[in-house]
Amino acid sequence: MRSRFDEELSRLSSDLTTMGALCEETILTAVEDLSKGNTDAHQHIAPFVEEIAGKEKAIESQCLKLLLQQQPVASDLRQISAALKMITDMDRIGVQASEIAEIIGFLDGRTGSECEYIRQEAMETIKMVNGAVDAYVKHDVDLANKIIDMDDIVDDLFCKVKAFLIEMITNNPDDGGYALDLLMISKYFEKIGDHAVNIAEWVIFSETGVHKGGA
Amino acid sequence: MRSKIFRSTFFVAIIVFLSCLVLIMGVLNEYFVNIQEKQLKSELVLASTGVEKSGVSYLKKIKKDSERLTLVAPDGTVIYDTWTDASKLENHGDRKEIKEAFETGIGESHRYSATFTEQTLYYAIKLPSGDVLRVSTVRLTMLTTILGMLQSIAAVIMIAFILSLVLAGIVSKQIAKPLNDLDLDRPLESDTYDELAPLLTKIEHSRREIEWKKEELREKEKEFDAVTQNMDEGMVLINKKHEVVTINPAAKRFYGYTEDPVGKNFLLLDRDVEVSKMIDEAEDKGPSERVKEHQGREYQLHASRITSHQNPIGTVILIFDITEKAFAERNRREFTANVSHELKSPLHSIMGSAELIENGMVKPEDMTRFVGVIRKEASRLVTLIDDIIQLSALDEKKDLPLEEVFIKSFIEEEIETLKPMAEKKNVIVKCTGDEVACNVSKQLLHEIVYNLVDNAIKYNKDNGSVEVNTSSFNSGNFGSAKIVVRDTGIGIPPEHQPRIFERFYRVDKSHSKEGGGTGLGLSIVKHAVQYMNGDVTLESKEDVGTTITVVLPVKN
Repeated sequence: MRSRFDEELSRLSSDLTTMGALCEETILTAVEDLSKGNTDAHQHIAPFVEEIAGKEKAIESQCLKLLLQQQPVASDLRQISAALKMITDMDRIGVQASEIAEIIGFLDGRTGSECEYIRQEAMETIKMVNGAVDAYVKHDVDLANKIIDMDDIVDDLFCKVKAFLIEMITNNPDDGGYALDLLMISKYFEKIGDHAVNIAEWVIFSETGVHKGGA
Repeated sequence: MRSKIFRSTFFVAIIVFLSCLVLIMGVLNEYFVNIQEKQLKSELVLASTGVEKSGVSYLKKIKKDSERLTLVAPDGTVIYDTWTDASKLENHGDRKEIKEAFETGIGESHRYSATFTEQTLYYAIKLPSGDVLRVSTVRLTMLTTILGMLQSIAAVIMIAFILSLVLAGIVSKQIAKPLNDLDLDRPLESDTYDELAPLLTKIEHSRREIEWKKEELREKEKEFDAVTQNMDEGMVLINKKHEVVTINPAAKRFYGYTEDPVGKNFLLLDRDVEVSKMIDEAEDKGPSERVKEHQGREYQLHASRITSHQNPIGTVILIFDITEKAFAERNRREFTANVSHELKSPLHSIMGSAELIENGMVKPEDMTRFVGVIRKEASRLVTLIDDIIQLSALDEKKDLPLEEVFIKSFIEEEIETLKPMAEKKNVIVKCTGDEVACNVSKQLLHEIVYNLVDNAIKYNKDNGSVEVNTSSFNSGNFGSAKIVVRDTGIGIPPEHQPRIFERFYRVDKSHSKEGGGTGLGLSIVKHAVQYMNGDVTLESKEDVGTTITVVLPVKN
């Protein structure tokens, strides 16, 4: 009985890892599309997002089944409940990456290269998502804490992007729409960073039983 | 087995004991009955003599607690009874033993009491007086005897029970001892029952076989380990559940994993979506490959399914570093493209000029110029092809004859041939330093010096200068010759310096024909120096000049 439960738990863990990997791939593709100015970015991203959504459903029902049938306690319960929360954040990351892809479609092939900060922000976000999934896979609480701290860097970069875009609009009012699109992209990156922080927090919860997000 | 032996021994002992008990009781009973009967008879005889001599008065003297004696008259009436009052007794004439005594002189009979627990024995004898004297005694039946002895019997049974328990335990232990002491690692050396010998021989045989197979397996494993531990390619074996079964150090290095990931899910090492797809493909269809960039290097991952008796049991993933290969491939492609380009451009000029002449569109007075173009371009082609042949010869590492060359005079000769070109650009070329004798290939040295000096003149400014310095020095045990070519030319910008020795690489991207270079000169120099186990270094500053230093070992 127990060994079957353990098997199910390890399957849950590997499914979650796969889902995390899909998120990484999605956001990486979005950033690549942005840097190349691919207007059909949305078509690249769509299959990933669909797959992520499918995985979310599958993991969710798997978690519920485990909760009902095995009535886990202590660390097993934490692991499953953290998984339930993490998939929501991962799903949001996928959706937001697809939003970014949609906006890239409106940029008419421009890449936002005027603003170095957007590229930096994208890189930092990728690092955060990567690190959050890594922390989950390796059960690494220290790494998870580092990811939570990294959020400040991304927030800071978002502010820099904002300042840059304000200046851009003042100097070149014709580029207003473009600047706003870039702002949206930057905001989505910032949101993805927040979701990575959430994932990191749930990793810490599942390892230590303490949830940093308060309450 | 011990418990089985114990139980059997115990039950056998108990059964034997109980049946002995029963038999002995039966035999004893019989024996006692006989003795009692004999006693009774002799007592009767004694009493009859007593009665004969002294009559009833004898009987009266007998104590009441001994056997009962009754004197019966011939008509059956009781004359005297030692136990009860004779007058109260009925007529005994019809009693069996009395009747027999009257008829034959002796009679006997026995009767059970109402409860069957007692049996009364009677003996009668006819006295000479005609009366019958009867003796009777009460005998306990076997049942009564047993009931009376119940306590002692129970005690005996108890003792027997305990004794057989203990003995059976000891015996079974003794029997099982050789079996328990059997050393299965050395079965034939054990001292045990003969009946076990065939079995033990078989065990010994199997044991040796297993030992041998184990050894063989260990050898194979060692071999496998030695191969996988030392190979540069990463190798990971995973089972059907994607858990790592084996991983070699190269793969661990690749994934930057220090602890042992055996037994963990492969996703822990690599969760790349493409890699997961590759593994799935390998499981479903067969061998599958992916190229993956990792820490700035390019790797090729190859997955193939492992089957055993047509059942998939896992997947093997091999990781090859193809950075160099990919780089070489890119270089080769670039080289081919460059060669075709470089070969084509002079041919286009030649064809253009020739077509113009063919169609009579060239005025006679211009003819010389057009033919001059054709000749110039053709000679450029020849130079280019010469250079390519030279390079490929160097690539092939053909053996070239070595001879003693005096470097300084050799360089002076080379400079002499390049003088006209230098004069055209107003560049002064001079050779300084010491004479060094060197054992090298004259042809290669020519290529080196010619190309270097040629470049130094070509990329010089007007009124510039080129200085070639030769010297010798000792590095370790080997004497080396050093040739330094220093010019005051345009220099090479720092971003181009690392690539300047590549084939067809030019600082001036327009591939200007002005200088007439092929872009292969420095590449030839580098290869030639390498061929002679030397070393070439570059030092350059834009607008100041370039210094190229070649170090060649004196002896080769």
